[in-house]
Amino acid sequence: MRIRGFACIAGTLWAATAWAHHSFVMFDTSKEVTLTGAVTSFEWTNPHVYIEIDVPGEAGAVKHWSVELGSPSILRNSGWKHDTLKPGEKITLIINPLKNGNPGGLLVQANLPDDRKLGNGPGREPK
Amino acid sequence: MRVAVLLLASAIAALAQADFSGVWRPAMGRGRGGAAGAIAFKSPYKEKYEAMRAREREAAARGEQLAARGLCEPYGMPGMMQVAVYPMEVIQTPKQVTIIAEAFSEVRRIYIGKPQAALDDLDPGYYGHSVGHWEGSTLVVDTIGIKESVLGYQEMPHSEQMRITERMQKAGADTLEDQITIADPVVLEKPVTYTISYRLVPNYEMVEFVCENNREYVDANGVVRMKLQNK
Repeated sequence: MRIRGFACIAGTLWAATAWAHHSFVMFDTSKEVTLTGAVTSFEWTNPHVYIEIDVPGEAGAVKHWSVELGSPSILRNSGWKHDTLKPGEKITLIINPLKNGNPGGLLVQANLPDDRKLGNGPGREPK
Repeated sequence: MRVAVLLLASAIAALAQADFSGVWRPAMGRGRGGAAGAIAFKSPYKEKYEAMRAREREAAARGEQLAARGLCEPYGMPGMMQVAVYPMEVIQTPKQVTIIAEAFSEVRRIYIGKPQAALDDLDPGYYGHSVGHWEGSTLVVDTIGIKESVLGYQEMPHSEQMRITERMQKAGADTLEDQITIADPVVLEKPVTYTISYRLVPNYEMVEFVCENNREYVDANGVVRMKLQNK
């Protein structure tokens, strides 16, 4: 896991225009956390899509993370489908973490097993 | 002869009516001419609204969002007319215009040519009771009967006497505009007016939206939190 700061102008725009359900403020958009691990579930649901992921840490400890995406309507034109991810698949996620330090965050980019890179909908395309 | 003239007049009026059928996506931005600072509240609503906004700003500075509404709750009127960039479908017949918003699958029905009901006869609800009539190619819609718990434009409060007047018209083949005016003799000194602009989305099939997996909850302090799947 690594953390670094970056400016997220696009993310702010996206929050203002595509976030129907709640604001963006609980996520720290000035930070990125990279998670590499195994998908435990991929929930193609409203009001948000979620990726649940087990991330191996140091000394063999596994930490579980919940990662929030936009809604299916927002994501489906950005390469995502209801079956894009399956349990057990190994992926890398870049997220904006929760400000309160809990193991959750907002997706910035997903690096899929087939080497595709997907973002979090319009205004949050992959890098 | 008189019947022929009436039929002709009716046909001309029908030709003047616009066709709003299709799927429309709101343009970015929150409409024109209705900034929060411009809302002319009566006292004590002005003070209460400003205090609420101040609390929201203070919470945001702490990295927290205060919950203004239930997090799986539909928006109601007039909020449902623009939820982020989610599209809405308009189904138009001579007697009814039906609007289906994709976000939260909200539905409102506008009855054309019907008189408005008496407020006392309506159960207060999320969408109220809407009747419309054509003024040339502009559909003028009158809506009353919105329950007080349904937050209005810019999360403004309102009374059950709120009246929403909309003027819907085409601005070109693929642009629809809805000028929304909110009047409320209890809460507002003068009506609030703003305009939402929509672009036609050809061949779009509306996506199902059932709020089945809401992970956001409101804690004891009214702050929005994300529920985690603990393992």
